[in-house]
Amino acid sequence: MQTLDRHHLFEFVSRHFIWVVLIATVLVFGLTIDGYLRISNITNILITGSVLGVMVIGQALCLMARKLDLSAEGTVSLVAVTAAWLMLPYRETDLAQAGGLGIELDPLLVIPLILLLGTAIGFVNGFMIMKLNMNFFIVTLAMQLVLRGLALAISSGAIMPGTPAAFNWLGGGRVAGIPVSVIATIGLYAVFGFVMSRMQFGRKVYAVGANEDAARASGFNPARTVILVYMVSGFLAALAGWMLLGRLEASVPNLGVGITLNVVAAAVIGGVSLKGGEGSIIGAFAGVLFLAMVNNALNLMNVDPLWVNAVRGLIILVALVIDAQKSRYRGRAGPAEPKVKTGAKAKQTAALS
Amino acid sequence: MTRTGPNRLVSLMVDNLIWLFVISAFIAFSLLSDRFLSPYNLGNILLRSAAFGMLVLSQAYTFITGNFDLSVESSLGLTAMFAALMLVTSEAGGWGWQLNPILVIVLMLVLGGAIGLFNGVLITKVGVNNLLVTIAMLFVLRGATYGISPGTSISFFPKEFTWLGGGTLARVVTDDGNFVLSVAGVFVILAFLVGHIHTRYTQFGRNMYAVGADADAARAAGINVDRVVIIVYIIAGVCAAFAGLLQAGRLNAATPTMGANLIFAVHGAAIIGGMSIYGGRGNIIGAFGGVLLWSILDTGLNIMGVSPFWIDVSRGLLLLFAVLLDALRVRYQRNVQLRMSLADTTIGLEDKAHGDD
Amino acid sequence: MTEATTEATTERRKDEILLDMRGISKSYPGVQALADADFSVRRGEIHGVVGKNGAGKSTLMGVLMGIRQADSGSIAIDGRALRQASPQMMLDAGISYVPQHINLLNTLTVAENILVGNLPRNRFGLVDWKAVNDDSGARLERLGLKLDVRQPVEGLSVAERTMLAIAKALFNNARLIILDEPTAALARGDIDLLFSFVRAQQEQGVAFIYISHHLEEVFEICDRVTVMRDGRIVGTREISEIDVPELIHMMVGGGVQEYERGTTAGAEIVFEAKNLSRRGAYEQINFALRRGEVVGLSGLQGSGVDELAQALFGLERLGVGEVLVEGAAFNPDSPRDAFDGGLAYLPQDRHRFGLIQLRPVRENVTYSVLDRLVSRVGILMRKPEQQITEAYIDKLGIVTPGAEQRTMLLSGGNQQKVVFAKLAATQPKVLILHEPTQGVDVQAKVDIFNIIDDLAAQGVALLVISSEVRELIGLCDRILVMYQGRVTDEFTRAAANMKPEHILLAIEGGRGHANA
Repeated sequence: MQTLDRHHLFEFVSRHFIWVVLIATVLVFGLTIDGYLRISNITNILITGSVLGVMVIGQALCLMARKLDLSAEGTVSLVAVTAAWLMLPYRETDLAQAGGLGIELDPLLVIPLILLLGTAIGFVNGFMIMKLNMNFFIVTLAMQLVLRGLALAISSGAIMPGTPAAFNWLGGGRVAGIPVSVIATIGLYAVFGFVMSRMQFGRKVYAVGANEDAARASGFNPARTVILVYMVSGFLAALAGWMLLGRLEASVPNLGVGITLNVVAAAVIGGVSLKGGEGSIIGAFAGVLFLAMVNNALNLMNVDPLWVNAVRGLIILVALVIDAQKSRYRGRAGPAEPKVKTGAKAKQTAALS
Repeated sequence: MTRTGPNRLVSLMVDNLIWLFVISAFIAFSLLSDRFLSPYNLGNILLRSAAFGMLVLSQAYTFITGNFDLSVESSLGLTAMFAALMLVTSEAGGWGWQLNPILVIVLMLVLGGAIGLFNGVLITKVGVNNLLVTIAMLFVLRGATYGISPGTSISFFPKEFTWLGGGTLARVVTDDGNFVLSVAGVFVILAFLVGHIHTRYTQFGRNMYAVGADADAARAAGINVDRVVIIVYIIAGVCAAFAGLLQAGRLNAATPTMGANLIFAVHGAAIIGGMSIYGGRGNIIGAFGGVLLWSILDTGLNIMGVSPFWIDVSRGLLLLFAVLLDALRVRYQRNVQLRMSLADTTIGLEDKAHGDD
Repeated sequence: MTEATTEATTERRKDEILLDMRGISKSYPGVQALADADFSVRRGEIHGVVGKNGAGKSTLMGVLMGIRQADSGSIAIDGRALRQASPQMMLDAGISYVPQHINLLNTLTVAENILVGNLPRNRFGLVDWKAVNDDSGARLERLGLKLDVRQPVEGLSVAERTMLAIAKALFNNARLIILDEPTAALARGDIDLLFSFVRAQQEQGVAFIYISHHLEEVFEICDRVTVMRDGRIVGTREISEIDVPELIHMMVGGGVQEYERGTTAGAEIVFEAKNLSRRGAYEQINFALRRGEVVGLSGLQGSGVDELAQALFGLERLGVGEVLVEGAAFNPDSPRDAFDGGLAYLPQDRHRFGLIQLRPVRENVTYSVLDRLVSRVGILMRKPEQQITEAYIDKLGIVTPGAEQRTMLLSGGNQQKVVFAKLAATQPKVLILHEPTQGVDVQAKVDIFNIIDDLAAQGVALLVISSEVRELIGLCDRILVMYQGRVTDEFTRAAANMKPEHILLAIEGGRGHANA
């Protein structure tokens, strides 16, 4: 009985662990760093967290479905480059800058086009994984190479500056002094938090991620669910690309490079398990806030910007070690039956040799 | 490894798919461009991807045991930068120690090995997920590289140092140009050969395969699984350090971004070379084929004047194609097995029916 | 080494005792798994161990392998007593276990699997592959096993893998090998192959313990057989001095029926299978279920029972023939189709197919009926969901701290009730239960019987697939038996011919029908 209670306590703490960390972080930084809690700084944190935040939603969904989408950052750069290419006037490419295709499409047409492009990429990923039984890791890895290569080929690896204001609104605009990107990101978290906890789709994603066979036997269609998850991931990556391009007002080569690793880290710190079926959107949000806050604090503390990456990596590492202890504990105090089974299996194996 | 059974031909083809790709790519580029077969270019194919090749070798090792090490690209950058700082004068941006190049090389290999040890211990003894640990280490090491760098690139290394990455062993002068036998190219070939012998012909190498095939069964056979995995991570770290030294030597410079974002192309090369991320499959020679293929695509497209940005696209598409073939093979094998077992049971049923009569 | 040992063993007298276990007892909280068991194996004999699930076979073997510690009793090998037995000690004493699911290094070759960890090397210290292949090939040849040693293990058939596992045990100087249901996944031709291999090793003096539900095979290959029941050894007999009916009698015992339900069967037919056949799985299946009827279905592994159940639920192809549920054609492509067609299935493997362990009870109960719980805009309605969950927790007596508890933290019986709730929520016309009482305690068993009774009383037609014949007798109006892909026998309560011995005989392929 006592172990059961301890288990509940453990479940509670582990489920809300990220919030404890987040509050502690706010307290420590708020007390030690001058101006940390000022509105302007908080806005700053949120702006820098918004692109990461949008991508984390998509990745969190993939992780919950026990998959991974390494291609998301490729989608970000491809849609950004494509958008710039379609909107900008033609000009000779020189060493530093490239121009567009010259058709100068209306931003209001380009936006749905790139969102569609992202969704389509997600569909292709999902289709190859679920219908052609190709490994998800390799598929999305290869897709990432393809997309990034396409992006560089279209832009000739050069900067494409001068995207129209109507397009930049999402990434750079403000409504009543609040950045649009922040509003949009928070809105997306609200929407997906609701979808994952209160709608059929969310229920299916968790079920498929936790146990695909049982999900099928419960009347779900895992292939359809996973393909949808990848489509959402692709859509959100396209949205993030739009946001990022709008903020920078220029398509730069290597846009979004390496962000996937940050995204996965934020989701996992936020309690989304790599083993599928667990975690919440709101937790992932906390993970994003945590990373954004740490970045910001390192800036304010005048940590050499060159060292920021290292410190951030170390913090992620510490979080992972704590997380590993968590699953170890769960392994010991967790469900008796499955554990006993694997233990017995291992021993039978030992007996076999 | 010879295979028998009904899928022999299919298996043989899929197992050696990489060489089919390599040869086709080689022939295709020879036909498409007369400059591809030039002595200069042939000498160049390996030189340009020597560092890349060492990273692929590091991943081939981890893949065999069913593991990953995403951090090697950052180890490359860190060791290159460290070496540069210890080698050059303070005027050139270094620390002004001007250490002996040989000592620096040894120190960097030790550093690479230590990083691998750290990864391996966290994964096996602390139980952190291998993907995430090495992602975090990728940040830490890259950050450290930026942190210690003076913010600019560092150049002007002593000759003894650049010999490994940029030196020439022999130069054959022909009418079409010079064939350059580079130290780095020979080094990479030797490294893969050693890797092949190590994984194919030593007890430790075979233990690596056993761990990758089934860690439980390997443990049951008396193999110390944790130890094997830790050593493999150390080897991967040392390979990454070699990559850093080769790259710095070839460019005669170290920048903090060296090696950044290479890891996925590295994994792609290993996978198309027949390595499996699930472990226990593939061989080092195949992985070398992956390096060659990527390098041929790189130089071939370059010579044909195709924008280098299409290289990644072609790599990605080839990788997808290879995975698709593998998925089809699995499906085919399952069908064959199913047919065989179905045939068996039906015969069984009929036999019994006759017996009853 | 191996050669020397086997030769030495052959020279000794055959009826010498190799293993002697005396007075072994083992209890778990609330269960006496083994009670004062005496068990011995002679040198070079094949010794069958039979008994129902839960009879104590696996506990006895666990003690023998050193995986479980007996509370009392002694183990002697070659007359030498072993005190505190550990798995390693038992291995060293020459006792090896070959599980039903063989665990080998699948991507590596046969040769490497044999010599793993100890590959022959040449004078440069490198692995000598020619020697690896020759050596392993020669070793296999000495055992009379013909395998291409350069082939990867993943290309071997199940029988070949089993023989390879036995061979590996022998190379490690095993003298007593425990075979656990080795033929469960084998076709007849492969069984013959395996048996002749086992017999060849027996002639070299190796002893085997052969655990199987297939009594026919026990008679085919064993010298002696030990019967277990309720944690006790009922007896050990020479195979020549016993026949199948007597063996079954020993397995079943003379105990009284623990549970007996009345009939709720109506007249109306709700489910009908007509001439259902699938190549290699089942042939010419014809049966019908009436409203409120509980029908048992029993058969050995490979008899087609599993395939039939999975196919009816849309997890596998149904094949040719016709199935009608309430008169409507029924041919599901997926479990969803099956639910929609009015049929639900409780899988045998609760962990893999039944439950999503990470998720809470509430979600597991309502997975099957999500469609009914969404509002027009696709939002899940909390209230009805809560109500359904609470209602089933209440009705089925699921012991849980609350609806939000992860199902993996529940006991086996309560987990099974959650699966029942999920299926019952679909309000099926036909419910197929696959080993519903497997791995649950006595109290939960009674609860599950009551649930079955309730469902039947509500008019659901139930098909209960189980190897627990005594439970079926107490529960069912009729019992069908499948053998070699066909329904071969039928027992009805009305005809008063539902005798455990007869049913078990039919399951084993004999003529069990009382009227026949």
